[in-house]
Amino acid sequence: MEFTIISPRTRSELLDVIRKEKNFRFGAGCTDLLMELKKKPHANLTVINLSQIKDVQFSGFKKSAKGLRFGAMFTAHKILMNEEIRNNYTALHESAFNLASTQIRQVATVGGNLCTASPSGDIACALVALDATCELLSTSGKSRNVIISDFFTGVRKTALKKNEVLYGISVPSKSKDTKDVFSNFIKVGTRRSMECSVVSLAYHIQVNKFGEIIKAGIAIGASAPTVRFADSACKYLIGKKYKSISEKEKEEFAKKVLSYASPITDIRATAWYRKEVLFNISKSIFH
Amino acid sequence: MAKKLKVIGTPVPKQDANIRVTGKAVYGHDITLPNMLHGAILRTEHPSAIIQSIDLSEAKKLPGVVCIITADDVDVNNIGYKRDHPILKKGEANCTRDEIAAVAAETKEIAKQALELIKVKYKVRKGIYDANDALKDSAPQINKFISGKFENKNIAETFHYEHGNLEEAKKNSAHIVSRRFTLPRMTHACMATSNVTASFNKVDKKLLMYSSTQVPFLYQRDMAHALKMSPSDIRVIQPIIGGGFGSKLDIHPFEPICALLSMKTGRPVQILFSREEEFIASPIRQPMVIDLTAGVDKKGNFTFREINILKDNGAYTSWGATTPFVIMQSFSSLYKLKACKFNATAVYTNNVFAGSFRGYGNPQATFALERVIDLLADKIGMDKAEIRLLNANEKGEVTGQGLHFDTCGHKECLETVIKKSNYNKKVIAKQDARFKKGIGLASMLHVGGGAKIYRSDGCGTTLKIDPYGYCTIISGSNEIGQGSETVLAMMAAEELGIDLKKIKVINTDTDVKPWDVGVHASRTSFVAGNSLLGAIKILKEKLSKKASELMNSSHSEFDYENGQIVSVKSKDSIALDKVVREMHFSEPNELAIASFFYEPSSKFQDKNFKGNVSGSYAFASQAIEVEVDTYTGNVKVLDIYVAQDVGKVLNPLLLGGQIEGGLLQGVGYALTEELLMHEGKILNPNFHNYKMLTASDIPDIHFFPIETNDKEGPYGAKGVGEAPLIPTAAAIANAVCNALGVEFVELPLTPERVLKAISLSKINNNHHNLISL
Ligand SMILES: Cc1cc2nc3c(=O)[nH]c(=O)nc-3n(C[C@H](O)[C@H](O)[C@H](O)COP(=O)(O)OP(=O)(O)OC[C@H]3O[C@@H](n4cnc5c(N)ncnc54)[C@H](O)[C@@H]3O)c2cc1C
Repeated sequence: MEFTIISPRTRSELLDVIRKEKNFRFGAGCTDLLMELKKKPHANLTVINLSQIKDVQFSGFKKSAKGLRFGAMFTAHKILMNEEIRNNYTALHESAFNLASTQIRQVATVGGNLCTASPSGDIACALVALDATCELLSTSGKSRNVIISDFFTGVRKTALKKNEVLYGISVPSKSKDTKDVFSNFIKVGTRRSMECSVVSLAYHIQVNKFGEIIKAGIAIGASAPTVRFADSACKYLIGKKYKSISEKEKEEFAKKVLSYASPITDIRATAWYRKEVLFNISKSIFH
Repeated sequence: MAKKLKVIGTPVPKQDANIRVTGKAVYGHDITLPNMLHGAILRTEHPSAIIQSIDLSEAKKLPGVVCIITADDVDVNNIGYKRDHPILKKGEANCTRDEIAAVAAETKEIAKQALELIKVKYKVRKGIYDANDALKDSAPQINKFISGKFENKNIAETFHYEHGNLEEAKKNSAHIVSRRFTLPRMTHACMATSNVTASFNKVDKKLLMYSSTQVPFLYQRDMAHALKMSPSDIRVIQPIIGGGFGSKLDIHPFEPICALLSMKTGRPVQILFSREEEFIASPIRQPMVIDLTAGVDKKGNFTFREINILKDNGAYTSWGATTPFVIMQSFSSLYKLKACKFNATAVYTNNVFAGSFRGYGNPQATFALERVIDLLADKIGMDKAEIRLLNANEKGEVTGQGLHFDTCGHKECLETVIKKSNYNKKVIAKQDARFKKGIGLASMLHVGGGAKIYRSDGCGTTLKIDPYGYCTIISGSNEIGQGSETVLAMMAAEELGIDLKKIKVINTDTDVKPWDVGVHASRTSFVAGNSLLGAIKILKEKLSKKASELMNSSHSEFDYENGQIVSVKSKDSIALDKVVREMHFSEPNELAIASFFYEPSSKFQDKNFKGNVSGSYAFASQAIEVEVDTYTGNVKVLDIYVAQDVGKVLNPLLLGGQIEGGLLQGVGYALTEELLMHEGKILNPNFHNYKMLTASDIPDIHFFPIETNDKEGPYGAKGVGEAPLIPTAAAIANAVCNALGVEFVELPLTPERVLKAISLSKINNNHHNLISL
C-alpha cells in the first residue's frame, strides 16, 4: 500500500488541491479507506487528507431553529458526546454508539460513513431515517444540497461528482405539532463491538399530543444495495396511534418494511436470515 | 504443622506486566539482527493441484532479492509428528497453506513483490474436502508419505480404547441416547502473529533460532531432523511470546524455511506472518464428527458410552491428530462409568490441518458428552443437576482407564455452581415472549499434573543465589504469557525469604536451561514448580549448614525470612547474602547453587491406553445462564458460574486471568468462532469475519476455586490453564436448549443457526411462519 499524502490546511487550499490532482481519494478518518487500499492497491494515488483543515463548517456542529447542521468531518465520537443529539435524535446517537469501537469512533467521520456508501453504514442508516440533507461543495466554491436518499446511488456509489467534496449534513428539527419522538437504531450482528451490521433499522417517529403519528422515518441497512428509506411503511403509520398499534398492524408494517429489502447471501448471513430478522425487528419498534 | 504461607496464595501481579503494557517487551517482531534479510513464502493458489512448473526468472531479477528456494534447492527431511509433511512442496499441492517457494530479500516489500513475480503453472485437481469422501475406495491417496499402516490409504491415525463389558452394560440400560455432533474449525488468533528469526553462522555451522515455540527442546530435535543437523548445533532462544494456546507445539514449515534461507545466504533471515497469513497458515482446533451412544439405568447411573469419531486431519499430520488421548479420558472417566468403547480415526483431506489447541480435543468431547447427559436426564425424567451429582467422580476412584483420582473436587464443583447460580430455580423459570432465558450445566476432567505423552514429562531447574542475595531460577520450562515465571518467583520468595524484586527467572535459551518437555497440558506450574521446590530444598540444606557453622551452633532448623536465615530454636539470625558470600569466598569455596530434575509419578500408558497418565487430575463445573433473542437468534451469555478444582490457589490474580481468558475462548467456541472453508479455501481470514469476541461481550463471571490440596502438586496445586474453556461450550449449548426447548448438535450457535432452529421448531408446531425456508 503506497500513496502520496497532501494535507491542505484551509478550505481554499482544499479546493485548489482538488482542482490540481488527477488521481486522488479523500481521506477523513481513513478507517474505510485504508482497508480498501490494502485490498486493492491503486498505483500513483494521492490521498487528500481532510483531517488537518481548519474550518468549523467542515468539522463543527450547530443547532438552529431549522435543525442541526454538522460538518462532514464530525466524528462518531463527537456524535456520541453531543447532548442535543442524544436527547432529540436518539437514532443518530445510537448509530454512533454501535459503530466499531471507542478507538475507531475517535477518528471515523460522518462524511466517511456516508461517502463510503456501504449498505451497512450505521450512521448512514440513521441519517436516512432522519431525512438528512447533504451539502456538496464543488471546486467552484459553490455548494448544492442533495436529499440523503438521493445521495446513495448504488453499492459504494454516491451522487458526488469528481470535483465535489461532502461538506456538511443537516437534519431537520421536529415538526411544530410534535409532542413526542420515538427514535432508535437497531443493529443486528454477532458481537457487540467491532461489528458490521448484518441487518439494521433506524426509526424516528414523531407523535402529536393525541399520540398520533404525524411523521415517520424508517430506514433499513444491510438489506439492499444501499441504505433504503422505507417510504410506504412510513406512510402506513401516519395517523395511527403509536402506543396502540395492533399485532396485525405491526405485521402489516413489517411486511411493508420488508418490501424494501433485497438482501444477499454472504458469509456473514443468508438472505433468509436477513429478511426474517428485519421482519422481526420491524415489529418490535412499537412499545 | 504446615507453615503459614506468606507469598503463595497472594495476588502478586504478573512480574512482566509492566514491560508488556508499556510496550517495552521484546517480541519476535521486534528483533533485528545486523545484515538481516526478510523472508516471505509463496503458497499455492489451489488446495489441490499438480505443480507443473515454477518459473523464478523474473523474481530473481528484482533488485534486492537475495535468494529464492523451492523444494528442488534443498536437501531436507519431512516434518510433523508422522514425518508426513514436506517443508517445501514438490510436484503437487494438497492444502491451501502449501509452501511452494520462499524468498529472502533486503526488505519486506521487496520480498512480497518477488512473490508476485514467481510464475507457477498448476493443473488443478478436484480435491477431497470431506473426510467421508476420503475414505471411499475411489478416492486418490492424498498424503504419499505414509502408507500401508492402516486399512485405508487416507487414514492418518486410529485410536481404539475400551473398558468394561459393553454388551452387559447396554442390557442394563433403561434408556439409550444416540447423537451425532459436528464440531467446527477454530483458530487460536494469537495477538502476535507467527514469527521466526534464523541466523546460520557459515563459519562454525551453527544455527540460532529466535522462535516462539512452546516446546524448545522438541523443536531443537525436530528442526535438526528436518535440516539434517545435530540438535545441539541449534540454539533456540524464545523472545517474549504473544500467545500460544497450543499453536506452537508443532514446528511449522515457515520455521525450517527461514533457517534454510539463512543457511543459503549466510545472513540472518526473519519471517513474520501478516494477519491474513496467520488465519490461513496457522493451526486450528480439530474439526470432528462425534457419534456418541450412551446409556443410563433406571436409577440414573450411567451405564456405558460408545464413541466413534471421524477427524478431518487435513493434508498433513500434526500433534492435533493425537487429541484422542485426551478425548478418550473424558469419555472413559468423566463421571463414573462402567463400560466404554472408543474409536477415533483421523483422515487425510485437502483441508487445512489442525494443531493442538488449549483443551486438546476436550472441549469437543465435553460438548458431546454433556449434551447427551441432558438428554439422558430428560429420558428418565431426572433433574439435570441431580443426575450429574449422582454420577460425579469421587476421591479415591480408579477409573476404567486407570486414572487415579487421589483428590477429586468434582462433586464439590457441581454443588457449588448449582447453588451459587440458583440453578434449580432458573432451570424451570417462566419465559418472556421474545427474550428467553436458559441455564445449562457442564463439568470437565483434564490432566492437572502434566501428561506423560513423551518418555519424560519432567522439568529441570538450576537455582543460584549470588553474593548480593539475589536469586536466579534457571528453569527448563518457559513463559508463554500464562504467568508461570511469576508463580516460580513466588515459590522462591516463599521458601527462601527473598524479596520478589530480587528474583530472576531465566528460561528462554536451550544452551543454558535444563531439559523440559515444553509448555502444554496445563503442566508448567505443577511440573516446573515441583522441580524448583526440589532445587530449593537442596540449596537450603547447603545454606543452612553454612549458617549453622557461622552461628557456631548445632542448630539444623532454620526459617528463611526477610533476607535472613533465622534459627528456629534460638532466633539468632544471619543475613542470607552474608552466608552466600561466606560459602563463595571462604574455604572450602562452594557455590550457592543447586540443580534438580523432577519427573512426575505418572505413567506412560500401555498400548491399550490404560494407565495413570498424569500426576493429578483437575475437575471443573460451570453453570451458565443465557438469554436468547428469538427475533434475531442472538445468544447473550449473562452469567458464568465456575467452580474449579485447582488443588490450591497459588496466585488468585493469575488464576483469575486464566479463568477469564479461558472462558472467553469457550464462549467464542460456543457462539461465534468458526473458520469457514469452501473447497479447501478459507473464506474468513480476518477479524472482520472471524468472529472473535471483544471486551464488550464479556459476561459476569463468578469464580469459586475449590482447594483439594493434592499431595503431588506444589503446595497442593493442580494445573489450571486449559480447564476453564473445556466445559463452556457444553454448558452454553445446554442453556440455549433449556431456553428454547430445541436441540443443537453443532457449534458454534451462531444467530443464524439459532434462528433457523427456532423457525423450524415453529413450523413443526404448525405455527404461522412468514418466510418459507
Ligand atoms: C474495525 C472497523 C470497524 C468498523 N465498524 C463499523 C460499524 O460498526 N459501523 C459502520 O457504519 N462502519 C464501521 N466501519 C467503517 C468505518 O469506520 C465507517 O464507515 C467510518 O464512518 C468511516 O469514516 P472515515 O472518516 O474513517 O472514512 P474514510 O476511510 O476516511 O473515508 C471513507 C470513504 O469516504 C470518502 N470520503 C471521506 N470523507 C469525504 C468527504 N468529506 N467528501 C467526499 N468523500 C469523502 C473517502 O475518500 C473514502 O472513499 C468500521 C471500520 C473498521 C476498520
